[in-house]
Amino acid sequence: MANARAQPPVLVAQGIGHLTRNFLREVGGVFWFIVNTFQETFERIQKGRVPFRATSFFRHTERAGVDSVPLVGLVSFFLGLTMALLTGYQLQRFGTERLIPGLVAIAFTRELGPLLTGIMLAARIGAAFTAELGTMQVNEEVEAIEAMGIGPLRFLVAPRMLALFFLMPCLSTVSNIAAIFASSLVCKAYFSMAFPYFLDLVKDSLLIRDIITGILKSFMFGLLIAAIACYRGLTVKGGAAGVGTSTTSSVVTAITTVIGFDTLYNIVYTTFYPT
Amino acid sequence: MSTPTHMVEMRDVCMQFEEKKVLDGLSLKVAPQERLVILGQSGSGKSTILRLILGTLRPASGSIFFRRHEITRLQRGRLQRVRQHMGMVYQYSALLSSRTVSENVALPLEELTDKSRSEIDKIVDEKLELVGMEDSKDLLPEELSGGMRKRVALARALVLQPELILLDEPSAGLDPVIASVIDELIITLTEKSKVTSITATHEMDSAFRIATRMAMLYQGKIIEEAKPEEFKQSKNPVVAQFLSGSTEGPILEGTLDAITKK
Repeated sequence: MANARAQPPVLVAQGIGHLTRNFLREVGGVFWFIVNTFQETFERIQKGRVPFRATSFFRHTERAGVDSVPLVGLVSFFLGLTMALLTGYQLQRFGTERLIPGLVAIAFTRELGPLLTGIMLAARIGAAFTAELGTMQVNEEVEAIEAMGIGPLRFLVAPRMLALFFLMPCLSTVSNIAAIFASSLVCKAYFSMAFPYFLDLVKDSLLIRDIITGILKSFMFGLLIAAIACYRGLTVKGGAAGVGTSTTSSVVTAITTVIGFDTLYNIVYTTFYPT
Repeated sequence: MSTPTHMVEMRDVCMQFEEKKVLDGLSLKVAPQERLVILGQSGSGKSTILRLILGTLRPASGSIFFRRHEITRLQRGRLQRVRQHMGMVYQYSALLSSRTVSENVALPLEELTDKSRSEIDKIVDEKLELVGMEDSKDLLPEELSGGMRKRVALARALVLQPELILLDEPSAGLDPVIASVIDELIITLTEKSKVTSITATHEMDSAFRIATRMAMLYQGKIIEEAKPEEFKQSKNPVVAQFLSGSTEGPILEGTLDAITKK
């Protein structure tokens, strides 16, 4: 009743308040989900038992990592190719095409490699994790695991989280190598740059700091994607339709979070290391 | 607060889902080695009682005891340990769909005990033989019929030799012959292993076959508790209507008019 009489500015404020509350609830939900998963896993380790079986971990690493190599490699290769080509023609006008190797190498190791891999993994693996756990949740399988006295977080979530945590930097590296390799082909074909010269230019421009930044970012992306995907999966409500909705939501949330976290990371990074 | 002497004791338990009150001051005691059957209409809160005992749901108020443990107050780690003394058979079996029959039964042993692979395999074979599923151990749940899934779920629930087994609609959706087989299995296995059982069902034949005691859940409370023979003779109009399946009586009062008008 009060809502029917409310003025447009009040309604807008209400809407913003509602969205903010939901956003904060989600952030809190994912945060405590990660904390509880760690807690459950460490409690198990403290008892001197393995938290999950190695086969379970390696199954996820294979699916998330090895099986994602062609996709990550191919997309990064094409992007590296395009980037070298487009920037190359612009730089050629000023006679500075020798900057292409450094530009592609720095852009990918620091930024595009982890970010692209994060987006691809959120879509490919995040969706799979959510759908898988969501179906288990709907079929009461998760509750059955809990009813047996087995912690579902350490049994179902921990191996997935750990797999993505360790696999992300590896895939980012694949992405970096594919893009740099693609740009070397462009440099050779269009700008007559020999491979050894290209490599020298890459080595000259790339700093260890750039590589470490990209790797650190990748670890965090892996953790966030897995946490969001598993959280969405285990909180599915509403049967098969609910699994579909949660899977879409998981991909959208994970991609947005990865980009948001990346921006935040860059702001902090450039504050401390401006050059 | 007095210490409970029963296997399970629920004291004044209230439970509601959003606006809907499901349990309203329910009290219930289950003695060791008893086979209690909880009867009630669909949606009356029978499965909720089982989940509350397991601790996968928390009541709005009241307390629930399993042996000396107050389920409602236990922390996660302790609750997980207590749950290892209970087994649950879900209405739709809830077998892990990506694991074979033997892997499903082996799961609690692999995760919660220090037994070697050969010991686990031996126990799994024994349990599957008990429920007559030894030939299907390499099949996936999707390749099994409803009755076979129930039998595997029963084997999985019994694999850790629990003191209490909770069964949610064990014979629902099965043909009468298979339903009888499942009921007989429940009786044999619980007697053999000296396990206490609580079964939630609305299948009358199954209930009278399994029960050593019966309880009627109505409007969030236990309105009648008795041995099967006495339960049959109950003067309570709700119980009498439920047992006869009549449309005349207090259960559909008010709602029947609404249904027929539609």
